[in-house]
Amino acid sequence: MSALHLAWRTVRRYRAQTILAIAGVAVIGALLFDMLLLSRGLLLSFADLLEHAGYDVRIVGGGGMTLRMPIPDSAAIADAVRRLPETETVVLVRILPARLAAPGGKSSASVALIGVSGAAAGAWTIVRGVDLDRASGDACPVILGRSLAARVGVGPGDHVRINAEQVGVSSALPAITCRIVGVGQFAFGGAGDDTVATTLDALHRASGEDRVGDADLILVASRPAAGSAAAVAAIQRARPGLAVYSNDEVVEQFNRNGFAYFRQISLVLSSLTMVFAFLLVATLLTVSVNQRLGEIAALRAIGIGRSRIAAMLLWESALLVGVGGLLALPLGELLALGLDRILRQMPALPEQLHFFVFEPRALVIHIAVLVVTAVAAAAYPMWITARMPIAATLRREVVG
Amino acid sequence: MTRSVRGSTALAGAVVASIAAASSTFGAWHVPGTCQAPICGAWRAQAATQSAEPPAILISRQLAARTHLSTGDLVTLGSDPKGTRRASFRIAGIYEPTPDPMRFTATRLEARLHLPDLVDLVADPADPASRDAVTAINVRLVDAADATSFASDLAARTPGTTARLASRSRDDDPFAVLDRFHVAISAVTMAGGTAFLLALMVIRAEERRETVGILRLLGISRRTLLLSVAIEGVAIAALGAVFGILLAFATEGLVNRIFQARYDTALVFVRVTPSIALRSVLIAAPLGIVAGIAASWTLLRRDVLSIVRR
Repeated sequence: MSALHLAWRTVRRYRAQTILAIAGVAVIGALLFDMLLLSRGLLLSFADLLEHAGYDVRIVGGGGMTLRMPIPDSAAIADAVRRLPETETVVLVRILPARLAAPGGKSSASVALIGVSGAAAGAWTIVRGVDLDRASGDACPVILGRSLAARVGVGPGDHVRINAEQVGVSSALPAITCRIVGVGQFAFGGAGDDTVATTLDALHRASGEDRVGDADLILVASRPAAGSAAAVAAIQRARPGLAVYSNDEVVEQFNRNGFAYFRQISLVLSSLTMVFAFLLVATLLTVSVNQRLGEIAALRAIGIGRSRIAAMLLWESALLVGVGGLLALPLGELLALGLDRILRQMPALPEQLHFFVFEPRALVIHIAVLVVTAVAAAAYPMWITARMPIAATLRREVVG
Repeated sequence: MTRSVRGSTALAGAVVASIAAASSTFGAWHVPGTCQAPICGAWRAQAATQSAEPPAILISRQLAARTHLSTGDLVTLGSDPKGTRRASFRIAGIYEPTPDPMRFTATRLEARLHLPDLVDLVADPADPASRDAVTAINVRLVDAADATSFASDLAARTPGTTARLASRSRDDDPFAVLDRFHVAISAVTMAGGTAFLLALMVIRAEERRETVGILRLLGISRRTLLLSVAIEGVAIAALGAVFGILLAFATEGLVNRIFQARYDTALVFVRVTPSIALRSVLIAAPLGIVAGIAASWTLLRRDVLSIVRR
């Protein structure tokens, strides 16, 4: 009889404790799996959002990526960048707070008005209606965020009145009338998305400024043959001193500053859960072995060697941890959905950002950690059985 | 982004309360090892006196460490990277920034200066109104309960300004969300721990099968045996909870020190409070009872002869 067969018979014989041990490993394993998903989930999700926006280089103002400040002389910079052979598309983005009122003044809302030069493909997905570039002839075409459109009770074809406000400046300028050409989901829009996108010209008219204001952000798509690193280098050569970042650099910056907390909490919790799982499986196996000392001594007495007994205990540990670890995967996915839903209640978080994202690396680490746990948990019971005196143990069992 | 409230003097006069005004911008330090730091100025009744002595500023501990500056040193602050508009200041002191959970990952390279000095440094000479602009006006109300009505009243009287409450509601507080997340994690850990506790109690019950059989043969009732198991379960769970609390107390300082060193902050990350300790014991005790009774019931419900294997 092989060691695996012996282990299988043992776990079947002690069915209740086996089921409970597997359930415990499954729950703890699910938590471990979730912590592995959390460790890089936000980063992967953020990188995915950036990639899907369709631009791989960002030029920002003096405040860096975290503080949005206007880029002085942005129109000239955009022209210079457009002429570079490494770049394909250049889009200027300007953001102003604004007041949007529904027809008839039924309802109104404070919104973030985004002005873009051309349709910023990827920055939003049209859900209903058309994009800005297909709304020719409209002096002020706008795209409303899905939840804002629902809240204000408007849709494509309706007219709204918009009054852009310079921050902190009281304005008595009349609002301008804009036509809703589409309703969209903004890539970086929150759950209560209050974003309105329009053209740069329309934003300028709504602001009432005497001169066109500088953009807050310049989005650049590099030519596939050149790549983002070459485009960043070319822009910096053409305009030294500009704050230019590739998507990888943006992700790395957020990794260092913004997401460190979740990475560390996941490291702490996954380490704790593994220590917890190790202690509990080791305790269960040790207590179980102590209970079966006579039985194991009898097996040794009929000629089953130390190594086979040790292998049997290793298989028992592997069965408990292995089956529990396998069950942990679907359980972890379910748990991740619930935990993700909780964390996504964070205010002002982009709706499409997720905290728990699957990647093969997480699965590999999960399996590796469980294998180490199974081996470590079986080590002490194996040591007990290896140095057990057969005759004395059998005698103690009979006399006891 | 630098935000400003223009006409701030008039506005500040209008609110008629104890007001501290603050304005912030970005400054470039022109000292060996130049760095960028946010600087903010606070309005005081006694503004810096005009004299040959450079005005005084305070710098954060982190900035002092980064630039090897100390009290009494002279520094030059510029409001643009080229340093075309700059002024000299003397460091009057080094301060520990108030720990801010929302910014604990940020390196606090900061300086504080008197508001008139900051205005001199950053105001646009071509725009006289820029001398009367601040980022925010902090207002302490006589009665904090009036905050919401005050905010809406101010917004109505001064279009273009946004009045916000300093305190957050549960809905827009990220720490309330983190709190829920931690509670959920604790619940999952408890579920896993309960399964293991149950498994251990099943093994323990099986170990004492013969003892239980003999006690039953001697006439001790199931109820008495179950009660003894429940008491044992409570004792084990309570001891485990107390051990856990002691372990948490013992490691609290270590965890805080590691994270405080990692983020260079005085923020406290872990604190085991009496209410948390009490909650742990109150959750652990019933779990111990349930695990003990459930594990023993599988044995006690059987016929006494089957327990003693006859």
